[in-house]
Amino acid sequence: MLRTVAELRNVIVFTIGGVRYALELRWVREVVSLGFVTGVPTAPAALSGVCNLHGTILPVLDVAALLGHPPGAGARQGDGALVLELEGTVCALRVDQIDHVASLVESAGAIVDARGRPLTLLDPAVLVRRATELITTAAAVSVAPAVPAS
Amino acid sequence: MSEGELDFDADELAMLRQLFKAEAQDALETVTTRVLAGGTAKPTPDALTEMMRVTHTLKGAAGTVGLNAMVDLSHRLESALAAIGREPSPWRPHTADLLVEVTDALRAYLEVAGEPGSETAVETIRDQIDQIVRPERRSQSLPPPFVEPPPETVLEPPSDAGPAPEPKAYLRVEPERIEDLMSSAGELLFDRTRIERRVQLLRTLARDLARTRQSLHDTLDAPAQLDRTSVAHAEGELASQAALLSQTTAALLDEIEALRRTIGELQKGLTRIRMESARNLFLHAARTLRALRRATGVHVELRTLGEDTEFDKAVAEQLVDPITQLLRNAVAHGVEPPEERAARGKPATATLTIRARQDGNLLVLEVSDDGRGIDTSALRDRLVATGRWSQTRAQLANDSEILDALLGTGVSSRGDADELAGRGIGIGLVRETVSKLGGEVKVSSVQGRGTTFSLRLPLSTALAQAMLFKVGGQVYAIPNVHVVDTITVEPAATVAQVRHEQVPVLRLENLLGSTTGLDRRPGVVVSFAGKSLVCSVDKLVGPREIIIKPLGPLLAPLQLYAGATISGSGKVQLILDPAQLVRRAYPDAPSEVMSAGDSAPVVLAGRALVVDDSRAIREAMTSMLGREGWIVDVAEDGARALQMTRQLRYDLVVTDLEMPELGGFDLIARLRKDERFASTPIVIITSRANPEHRRRARDLGVLALVAKPITRRKLLEALAAR
Repeated sequence: MLRTVAELRNVIVFTIGGVRYALELRWVREVVSLGFVTGVPTAPAALSGVCNLHGTILPVLDVAALLGHPPGAGARQGDGALVLELEGTVCALRVDQIDHVASLVESAGAIVDARGRPLTLLDPAVLVRRATELITTAAAVSVAPAVPAS
Repeated sequence: MSEGELDFDADELAMLRQLFKAEAQDALETVTTRVLAGGTAKPTPDALTEMMRVTHTLKGAAGTVGLNAMVDLSHRLESALAAIGREPSPWRPHTADLLVEVTDALRAYLEVAGEPGSETAVETIRDQIDQIVRPERRSQSLPPPFVEPPPETVLEPPSDAGPAPEPKAYLRVEPERIEDLMSSAGELLFDRTRIERRVQLLRTLARDLARTRQSLHDTLDAPAQLDRTSVAHAEGELASQAALLSQTTAALLDEIEALRRTIGELQKGLTRIRMESARNLFLHAARTLRALRRATGVHVELRTLGEDTEFDKAVAEQLVDPITQLLRNAVAHGVEPPEERAARGKPATATLTIRARQDGNLLVLEVSDDGRGIDTSALRDRLVATGRWSQTRAQLANDSEILDALLGTGVSSRGDADELAGRGIGIGLVRETVSKLGGEVKVSSVQGRGTTFSLRLPLSTALAQAMLFKVGGQVYAIPNVHVVDTITVEPAATVAQVRHEQVPVLRLENLLGSTTGLDRRPGVVVSFAGKSLVCSVDKLVGPREIIIKPLGPLLAPLQLYAGATISGSGKVQLILDPAQLVRRAYPDAPSEVMSAGDSAPVVLAGRALVVDDSRAIREAMTSMLGREGWIVDVAEDGARALQMTRQLRYDLVVTDLEMPELGGFDLIARLRKDERFASTPIVIITSRANPEHRRRARDLGVLALVAKPITRRKLLEALAAR
């Protein structure tokens, strides 16, 4: 959505695969170092796997794959991740590096850091919706018979 | 009426009878209570009316579930009660005793009613009831055999039973905890029936939709016949089918919600059965400590707090080892030698404290010692010296992080090796066990003052047995209830022989991994909804007790997985859904797992409301009407029914006449004033069909008045009058 008025946003700035992103802090529940990541067969590349977060099952998402790019490196134990929570859905975004937390100005959907470099502002709602779509599609495809018809 | 006329299958009948029996027990209890309340005096008219009402309800319900002898007996009892109410009343001081004897005998008879050989009791009870109205025959009667309590469960095995069996562990459970469970289990059956009916309707709807689509397709295929009317007709059909679909789905969701609640109740009930106090665990700890004291000569006392705290027996059993380990640890590492204690001004005898308490939904068990505490700086050095932590990390970490490290690794807090506490490995096991139970361990310590390990566990855990196996380097689980066996699968086999039966092989190494099974490998035989398959896997891990965790909304579409569990080392392990495995192994089979008894097409008839104060009758009517294609809602009295009709329209109302709160005629009269129900077909089900009733029914535009017990034939006749 295009905004004509500049708005100040509290964001966390991070890097994944050399790309710098910003995400509004209010969606970030915590920053964690991932435990063992269990792969989920039949799931799309956008779902890197699931992790144990304080005894609950945490889906770990791949931002690149969600944005339609080739999937990133995959999530491993010890990787950093942002745990997001919105509308009852809790999930994690694997990140390479967390740069800093800042109040930055968003203008017409674009956001730049303190040094004027452009950042990609992520909307968690869009990411979760996209993840749901991809997972639903993959689940439907995977029901295709696995036993060769004899 | 013979049993052949009943319109229920065996399961359903058994279920309805069970329900009827519970209801009848309550009704008879009401009669007994009323009689006893009056002592030897004749019950008040109000009490008599109440007794007659419940007996009457009993009669109707007994007929519906085909217990004809019970119909006769309750009829006789009702007549006897009516006679007591009339003048001259046959009431004598000992009539109260007779009535109590009769209700007791009826209750005993209920337990066996419907079983072969139960008829002999009927004659006796009949005589007993007759004595109420003809008290002079009392002296001739034999003592009623049914007032004797049923024989208790055999307590000792017969002495000549051959070699003595292994002593078994028995669970002592309060009877009411079992009662609660039984009622939840019964509820579950009804939930199932309701959902099955609804699914049957959905299937019919799917067929109808396919038909509509086909006719639309045919119309479009022949442009010559393409006219507005036929398309509009198809559109109209689609609209009504869509409406029905959303209505049925909404109802199904409600019923599933009810099912979820019932399962919750059942689980809660089971958990209560499995609850025990901390006392046993504490006794065990005391024994352990006594042994430790003897072995080490360390002067130490045990103090226990909160022994009334209740927790799951299964959890308690699993906690024995961790507690033992923590006690050993405290004795070996925590407690200082006497001279050191003296130097610190502590009493020579150390105190170990185990405290159990409930903290919200958590059970907290704390094991504390008043020993030297943990030297965090020494532990820090050890973490660096053993290469586990970098110098920087060790410097940045605070004391609590350092203590947490003690749980995660094989680092002992004491420098030298110590066989008693196994060099800290024991602590790792504590964490593992607790983590398997879904809990966590925290350590706090004050140097020179002591150490506390607190185990924080969920109060109730959804423990389930599962078969664990490895595929593609990961561990998966299948709930054990669906695992029949494990076998060896031949390379590249697509079918396997399981007990004289050829069953398909589902290659999990293909589905979950990326390898193809070119070797012999283990297979897990899974059976679900009457279908079996073999899942070939890389390696069997074996049966384990797991805690089922939900996957959350994001992963819900991945139906292959029924949930996940967390291993002792904190890894997530996925649980495969047997239903989905069956679907994949039988790709051609229709996707309906439910096996419908009859495949006769069901025509969706509409939404019906059944009003009756007997639950057995409500369920019986739901079943009969459901079979005729009705979506059925129920109400236990007129007032509730009225409330429901305010929210929804019904295409049919079936009501009893005599009900607490608002009776049948009043209900009908009020419904007729509502224009939405002005001409709705209404059927009265009653066991009191006298001419006056028929006249009132006619005046209110009632479709039919059906005498209880209700049979399918009677019901269909009544409905045919529409």
